[in-house]
Amino acid sequence: MRMDTVIMGGGLSGLACGIALAKRGKRVAIVASGQSTLLFNGGSMEMLGYVDGKAVTSPLEAIATLPQSHPYSKIGAERIAALSERVKLLFNDSGVNMTGTANANHWRITPMGVAKPAWLTLNDHLRIDDLNNLPAKRLALMCIRGYFDQPNSMMAMGLRNLGFEVKVIEFTTDDISALRRSPSEMRATNLAKRLVSHSALQRIADQINSLAGDADMVLLPSVFGQSDDSDFQSLQSKVNKPLRLIATLPPAVAGMRIQTQLRHYFRMLGGTYLMGDSAVSGTIEGDQLTSITTAKMNDMPLRADNFVLATGSFVSRGLRADYERIYEPVLDLDVDADADREQWTRFGVLEPQAYMRYGVATDEQFRCRKQGKTINNLYAIGSVLSGHDAVKMGDGTGVSLLTALAVNDLIIAKK
Amino acid sequence: MAERMQLCNLSENNFEQCTKCSICTTVCPVAAVTTDYPGPKQAGPDGERYRLKDPAYFDKALKLCLNCKRCEVACPSGVHIADIIQHARMRATEGHRASLRDTMLANTDLLGTMANLVAPVANATLGLSPVKMVMHSMMAIDKHRTFPAYSRQKFTTWFKRHAAQSQDAYSNHVSYFHGCYVNYNFPKLGQDLVKLLNAMGYGVHLLDKEQCCGVALIANGLYKQAKRQARTNIASIRTAVNRDHHMVLTTSSSCTFNMRDEYATMLDIDNSDVRDNITLATRFIYNLVDEGKIKLIFKQDYKRRVAYHTACHMQRMGWQLFSIELLRMIPGLDLIELEQECCGISGTYGFKKENYERSQAIGSALFKSIEQAQVEAVATDCETCKWQIEMSTGLPVENPISILADALDVEATRQANGIK
Ligand code: SF4
Ligand code: SF4
Repeated sequence: MRMDTVIMGGGLSGLACGIALAKRGKRVAIVASGQSTLLFNGGSMEMLGYVDGKAVTSPLEAIATLPQSHPYSKIGAERIAALSERVKLLFNDSGVNMTGTANANHWRITPMGVAKPAWLTLNDHLRIDDLNNLPAKRLALMCIRGYFDQPNSMMAMGLRNLGFEVKVIEFTTDDISALRRSPSEMRATNLAKRLVSHSALQRIADQINSLAGDADMVLLPSVFGQSDDSDFQSLQSKVNKPLRLIATLPPAVAGMRIQTQLRHYFRMLGGTYLMGDSAVSGTIEGDQLTSITTAKMNDMPLRADNFVLATGSFVSRGLRADYERIYEPVLDLDVDADADREQWTRFGVLEPQAYMRYGVATDEQFRCRKQGKTINNLYAIGSVLSGHDAVKMGDGTGVSLLTALAVNDLIIAKK
Repeated sequence: MAERMQLCNLSENNFEQCTKCSICTTVCPVAAVTTDYPGPKQAGPDGERYRLKDPAYFDKALKLCLNCKRCEVACPSGVHIADIIQHARMRATEGHRASLRDTMLANTDLLGTMANLVAPVANATLGLSPVKMVMHSMMAIDKHRTFPAYSRQKFTTWFKRHAAQSQDAYSNHVSYFHGCYVNYNFPKLGQDLVKLLNAMGYGVHLLDKEQCCGVALIANGLYKQAKRQARTNIASIRTAVNRDHHMVLTTSSSCTFNMRDEYATMLDIDNSDVRDNITLATRFIYNLVDEGKIKLIFKQDYKRRVAYHTACHMQRMGWQLFSIELLRMIPGLDLIELEQECCGISGTYGFKKENYERSQAIGSALFKSIEQAQVEAVATDCETCKWQIEMSTGLPVENPISILADALDVEATRQANGIK
């Protein structure tokens, strides 16, 4: 089977690249194994949150100070400014409603109640533009009875530390109580599937309206709207105070919504999304990757002019480690990683971990190498790349999106 | 040494690989609509830990699992969640007798043979309200269901009378596992396949002996009978492969998945020598076109807007691309690919009174997206999805093979493939 481009990996990066290419009329197939780490995403994209442990105010300015090995340095600070605008358009076209700018970070709130710098945040989720000028004074933190994926007291403490007055209010409705029969399934995603009808949302609105008191903003766990923000809008229209959602522990509805909308848009553009399949090997001839083989279509190699590796990092199995080495499992591409296993990790989970920066080695154009030889039509994007650290630098989703569009441009420019 | 240590740690069905991420829960169509079902993580790897200690921990709610395999497709850790659940059900129901209703629904071929003999009567009776009420209350078959109409002439009868003689004239040959649905309910699909393959220069042959693949038997706990039928089928397929050097084609994704995968994992029947020779017709035809071995020419004036629905077992096999890409070769066809959602019927599941409402609730998202797609018809590779979608949306649902046959310019295709 022949495509213009085959993308290995169906997460944020693969989808963004696939959408951009399909929009230019290319025949694109995305091979997506299972679900992606978007399911851990609480509704924000971050471009660059921290440099040397300090929060970044303006990502675009801070990018210029990054070492040459960082994926952003390969794109160049100037181009990033332009690409960041295109990322916003891409979300907009897909129906993902987000706000933010690459000139100045705003703050998102983690499920543990910590404020972290962010670039784009879903419009229905809590976003604080300026910590000295909070969007509300008195918050009503509405907590769903029996729902354990939101550590309420930590959230309240975190918000109070930021200067909010917080009233914690527990509530439930018949629809919600019914779900408690199966506590292990009382997860954000299942709540979101239930809380969709007009009447279910009205019952929640009634609770809020009678319990929220003198609060000037109402916070709810992000359990609304798995496929778009219409359930939230419907709820907001029934409540007489401004409403915002806050991230929960995974599985996260916000990330699921983003994934669903991007995938839907990609399909609408004529893209092929192969759910539940994964690349297992490939054929390299000279400096070209000519085809890949997937687990489920073993006798039908996927051929293409260009290939994009967007298989993610260790969690998504785009990178693997055994007792001896760190490797890329599909093509055994060259990786940037310490050979000495002692160097991989450091004691203490919160310490910076060297393995977070490991990934496939690429040239200035994100082309991969195998045994020192560049493969001219194989590009790597997103978390599988080396040189960045989603945890300590807050650059994970930004690297995914910006390298995706940068590689799209490289492929389109090729004749 | 290190590698081997890790390998030896792997258990059956990868159940200890579960990292408790709950991703499976986000895609389970049953957990989404009912709290009676504990969901894939709890029913699968978590519950298995208890059941290994003491089989008494078996939870009856596991019957609610559709075996749609969506959890397995989504699991990032490769846990065979649905297999774990099905095996647990199997262990728990060993020695129990299935109810008359389940036995009747499961024996699609028996029901079919009886109905064919009296097709007009059967269609009328199975459709009559008093009869439906009796089925609803005495046999617990839901009254809302319309039984798929039975054809007066079986596919095999048609084939013997009208097609068998001419097949040897072609230079390439395949065998066809038609399945119960084509044989008893909808021979046209089989006829369409013969028309298509003949135009490509392929003669079609039936297996020496074909029995129902048994997918419904497994779902209804009739494992012994399923095993017997599976052995017969695999023996016939072996003959077709070894004696005649045929590929064995199917037109149903569920029969295909069942014979290729569930025979080994559920029924413990070794099919490894012929597994690769059992394939869906769309995949077979796509490969021939892709390799440049045959050409398909379509009618100039064909125009239609169709939505493709990926059946659960199709998604599990990961073969939807073949059907989709094949359909996209038809110039006049405007094809929309729907989001991959379960239609809720899952074979005989939705026919049972206790499941009807759940079944419709599961499918509601899919029905809505079909409505939004504004199409004239829906294409899918599964016959039970067809019943469910036709009943729930009122739109005609067709197998991709029928659409291809309909759009095909037979004369031009025969010429292009050098057939007189
Ligand atoms: S998706 Fe897989 S790993 Fe995650 S909880 Fe379910 S079975 Fe476990
Ligand atoms: S097979 Fe389908 S119904 Fe059964 S647990 Fe998995 S996702 Fe749920």
